[in-house]
Amino acid sequence: MALCFLARTVYSDIRHNFLPHYLLAAAIVVITPLFFSVSELDSRQAAQPLEMIISLTGTVLLTPVFMPEQNESIRDLIRSKKAPYLLTCMIRLLIGLLLLAVLTGISVLYMKKCHSQVTFRHFTGTAASAMALGSIGFFTAGVSNNVIIGYMASLLCYILNFIARDKLGIFCIFSMMNGSYDEKKWIFVLSFALILSVFMYFKLIRKY
Amino acid sequence: MMLFIRECKKIFHSLTFIIYFAAVILMFFTQFWPEMDEPVTSSTIDSYELAKISGEPETIMPKALDSLTGCYFSNTYRCYPYGLFKAVHLNSRDNDKIRDCITEMSSLNADELEELKAASSISHVKVGTNELESYNVKGVPLSVDITYERFREIMGEVDDILGGGSDYRPDDLAYKFSQEPMTHEEILEQYDEFMEKDHIAIAYGRLFSDYLGIILAVIPVFVAAALVTADKRTKMNELIYSRRISSFRLVFTRFAALVLTMVIPVLLCGAIASARIMYMYKGSTPDIAGAFAVSGKWLLPNIMLAAAMGMFISELFSAGMAILVQFAAWFMCMMMTSMPLYGHIRRFTFICRHNSLFYRSEFMKHYSDFIFSRIFYTAAALAAVLLTVFVYELKRGGKFNGIMFFGKDSIFRHKT
Repeated sequence: MALCFLARTVYSDIRHNFLPHYLLAAAIVVITPLFFSVSELDSRQAAQPLEMIISLTGTVLLTPVFMPEQNESIRDLIRSKKAPYLLTCMIRLLIGLLLLAVLTGISVLYMKKCHSQVTFRHFTGTAASAMALGSIGFFTAGVSNNVIIGYMASLLCYILNFIARDKLGIFCIFSMMNGSYDEKKWIFVLSFALILSVFMYFKLIRKY
Repeated sequence: MMLFIRECKKIFHSLTFIIYFAAVILMFFTQFWPEMDEPVTSSTIDSYELAKISGEPETIMPKALDSLTGCYFSNTYRCYPYGLFKAVHLNSRDNDKIRDCITEMSSLNADELEELKAASSISHVKVGTNELESYNVKGVPLSVDITYERFREIMGEVDDILGGGSDYRPDDLAYKFSQEPMTHEEILEQYDEFMEKDHIAIAYGRLFSDYLGIILAVIPVFVAAALVTADKRTKMNELIYSRRISSFRLVFTRFAALVLTMVIPVLLCGAIASARIMYMYKGSTPDIAGAFAVSGKWLLPNIMLAAAMGMFISELFSAGMAILVQFAAWFMCMMMTSMPLYGHIRRFTFICRHNSLFYRSEFMKHYSDFIFSRIFYTAAALAAVLLTVFVYELKRGGKFNGIMFFGKDSIFRHKT
């Protein structure tokens, strides 16, 4: 029964709401090697396309989790259903995270195949950066109930890193490009805290 | 006027505008403010380590030719096509084309080139994961017939063969191969220009615009997209569609409200910067009006175009598409910005850069291009607003409901 619900939710969400986002995330991964070299790069050089481009999949996959219910009619309809709303959101989030991991994995493996010096750290580091961008979007979209604000916050964070990454300390999402990995555990913890706080907010304040 | 005030109030109360406001202030205080730590004086100007680009063909041509010949010998060319490193290795046909370019620019033929290769010393440099042979080539003789114009043309061909973004892009040749530190006298000349021609404040105005222009080329799209989609979210579309007000008046009033509200935080930052400049340069008379004039010309087209694109694409497709398009355009502009961050403003440069208080003459060299680009993007913004009026009118008449790629209204779905 639970599996049936899960399958129905996944199918319905993909079909009606999230297919464009999944395709866009896949497109980011596919077009990256067309514009940027991914062959024969050393560890730092390999981090550039991974952190600067592949991490954007986080914004695309995690920010729109609450998007379908921005329409009040749909929100009321969803809340009237037997299945808990937050569970539906959690499933969407998990699918987003899974896809994020798969797409990052594909990128890293492809670079490995192209003789770039990538390791498991590149995979986890890129996934952490993508998760950070995505969770900022997820958090702001959830709290403001406006997915545009989610994209805005996520991309502003990206722009800030783009312009002033040296000044961001432990919140730098492009740290591997500077040869440092220590920031990744902090941004991973921050991402997890942001995701958790959205669910707490929905549960305790909005009483979903 | 009532409608304009109502739209302004709506924007002021929106969360996107509050975030926009915070982002502009953040950019101002984190990037520009540290540049105003202390005043520039004739005794502190030496600490700026200014470099000059002589741009003299006699300096550029031999150095560029030596560099290209070394790369040809090792068949490894460093390129940065979209700002990121790419090591280019050519197939034998394309590498032969490079050889032909070298033989035309130099007085060596193919056999003599091979002899030079054999005679050149080799060092090993790390390029990516590979340790490659690097040929230390010096003194490749230039052809006596070659003019600088022809040299640039050939280097343009070389850059095309390499796929762009190489050291040999004609516009970058001067920067890459004729850069040297300024002498003390030349630095003092820069100081004189800063004081006498820029009247202090205009130089700060350019630097202020350089920093703020980066984010003002993209974040207005969020405010515009949120405003356009707010009607749909609050289900006010039909009500507004049925009003007597013309689409032209409604859309242009909204656009004017967007631009005016988004200029306010920029003006606020400008006022803070002006106060700081007047405090730092007590006893001088900084040209504050000139600084506001240069910033206005520089930044207003950025705000206008990003807002207009946000409105147009949101009406035609969706807010998400507007954000995607504007962000992609911003990303490409940023990645393709040439070094150094001054003297590169051209006719179609959207994000103008001049990341220095100095090099006024480099900026003025392309001043007509700067003005052209600002007029061009202002006109493009107005054209986008006119197109928005057209799309809005079609929607009001029920003839069009936006272009959707997915869902039940998708353009790919067969309707029976």
